[in-house]
Amino acid sequence: MNATTDTPQSWRKAYAMALGLFALEVLLLYLFTIRFS
Amino acid sequence: MNRLDYFVLLATILAIPLYGLWRTRGGASLGQYLKGDASIRWGTIGLSVLATQAGPITFLSMPGQAYESGIGFIQNYFGQPLALVIVCAVFVPIYQRLKVFTAYQYLGQRFDRKTQMLGAFLFLVQRGIAAGITIYAPAIILSALLGWRLDLTIWLAGGLVIIYTVAGGTKIVSLTQRYQMMVILIGMAIAFAVVVYRLSGEISFGHALEVAGKMGKLQAVDFSIDPHKRYTFWSGIIGGFFLALSYFGADQSQVQRYLAGDSIKASRFGLLFNAIVKVPMQFFILLLGAMVFMFYQFEKPPVYFNRPAYERAVEHGAGPELAALETESDHVFEEKRAVIRAASAQLSQPAVDQMLQLDARAHEIRDRTKKVLDHAGADPKSKESDYVFITFVLQQMPHGFVGLLVAVILCATMSVTAATLNALGSTTAIDFYRPLLRPQASDHHYVIATQVLTTVWGLVAIAVASFANLVENLIEAGNILGSVFYGSILGLFLVAFFVRAVRGSAVFVAALLAQALVFLLFFTTSIGYLWYNLIGCAAVLLFAPILQQTIFRGTQADVGV
Repeated sequence: MNATTDTPQSWRKAYAMALGLFALEVLLLYLFTIRFS
Repeated sequence: MNRLDYFVLLATILAIPLYGLWRTRGGASLGQYLKGDASIRWGTIGLSVLATQAGPITFLSMPGQAYESGIGFIQNYFGQPLALVIVCAVFVPIYQRLKVFTAYQYLGQRFDRKTQMLGAFLFLVQRGIAAGITIYAPAIILSALLGWRLDLTIWLAGGLVIIYTVAGGTKIVSLTQRYQMMVILIGMAIAFAVVVYRLSGEISFGHALEVAGKMGKLQAVDFSIDPHKRYTFWSGIIGGFFLALSYFGADQSQVQRYLAGDSIKASRFGLLFNAIVKVPMQFFILLLGAMVFMFYQFEKPPVYFNRPAYERAVEHGAGPELAALETESDHVFEEKRAVIRAASAQLSQPAVDQMLQLDARAHEIRDRTKKVLDHAGADPKSKESDYVFITFVLQQMPHGFVGLLVAVILCATMSVTAATLNALGSTTAIDFYRPLLRPQASDHHYVIATQVLTTVWGLVAIAVASFANLVENLIEAGNILGSVFYGSILGLFLVAFFVRAVRGSAVFVAALLAQALVFLLFFTTSIGYLWYNLIGCAAVLLFAPILQQTIFRGTQADVGV
């Protein structure tokens, strides 16, 4: 998370990164569900 | 529990508050007492926010929930990351810029005093009750299983929290939560390692996952659109979003945590940390429950995990009936274990069908046992699944670790209660006491007032815990209570942020109408509770502009606080 410069743009990147990681977590959970159900 | 366990337990739950008291010794200004100081970094804020949400109910009930009905509960957290990003982008800068002590002060500045007090009042009502449940829920289970006196357990947990929260304010709450959360994570990781190790004599971890999956315990994501299903992707992402937005944006027990640092950056990093780690952490706790379920496929489980209730029923004369059920349960267990052992290397469809059939029979025997207990007047108040994980800990974990895991439950109780009391005391002092009773007093006076009010709220929580009759399911109680009130509170804040034309009186009446609507739906329908967050919030957003354009047309904003 490169938001140390504290600009609106860098924060937007940080938010996008957090949401991207969350989307990846949901994808992995979905794959886990398919694999083990 | 032996002496080693008691030593580990007492050392853990006492050392953290004592360290906190040492670190926060000396006087504090009102700002320091209510908001901490600049020394609180984003990591501490992140752990503190995490600890405020992850109460004892999370660690007692959630593994039991997975044991009973699988890991689908994880979907309730799907709305959180997006909500946290919105809190970071919209709420945090406003709170930091206005330098408010409580979230409701913002409502006073944007609208008027009565709206500030309405938001604060809704918070105080639901959090005041929730604080009692937070103390009572683990106390009744620990006292029943360990033979402790219930009143002493409640006073031990509640009393200790009151002492250090009153003494150190927000800073000590954040500091202690950091270490309490570390103890919790280490304890749960050890429990996970122990269950996998104990399983390894019978089945590999991979095969255990295969079998648990086939037995319906590992369905993490369900895209069903049935509104009556409690846990689906959609209810989690929509209802969970509104619950999380309200909880993190407008619940003072959370707002106070992330305003504890002095910069927007620290608050935001602490919240983004939660956006990333929350779902994996909950998944790990639920998976632990699924593994405990697998463990009890090879090790004979009690026919009913709530042993104190079972023993009361035996004393009331239900012994022969229960003995027959126990024998039947043992037969089903032996049969099921044989099928799973035979099938664990290669899972064929007939073997899976047989496992599911036997599991359904085991469920049915447990239901019949519960009926016998009810009939015998044994009063099995809490849900049986709440006893699953703690039974595993007490019976299967090595000594020393048992004490650590009981400390985990008490640490979780203390961390949530501390954050709640801190917020209840601050809100009562800042949103009610200061404007209504002593508007011009010194900082020192308000610090003392907050300390007194925090103590009073602590005693109220202990009183609620002492006289509570336990609701059916611990894990749901807090969320249901929150969902009933949070929608209206969130609606107040969203109107404040995004509907500039609406004034205080219109939003005030809109929030009252929305709250009445939620109560009506709650008592007359059976829709999933997460939807109340959306309904309450949407109702305020809808009613407020309509009221502003009709009944309150032409009114000016009242004088803010």
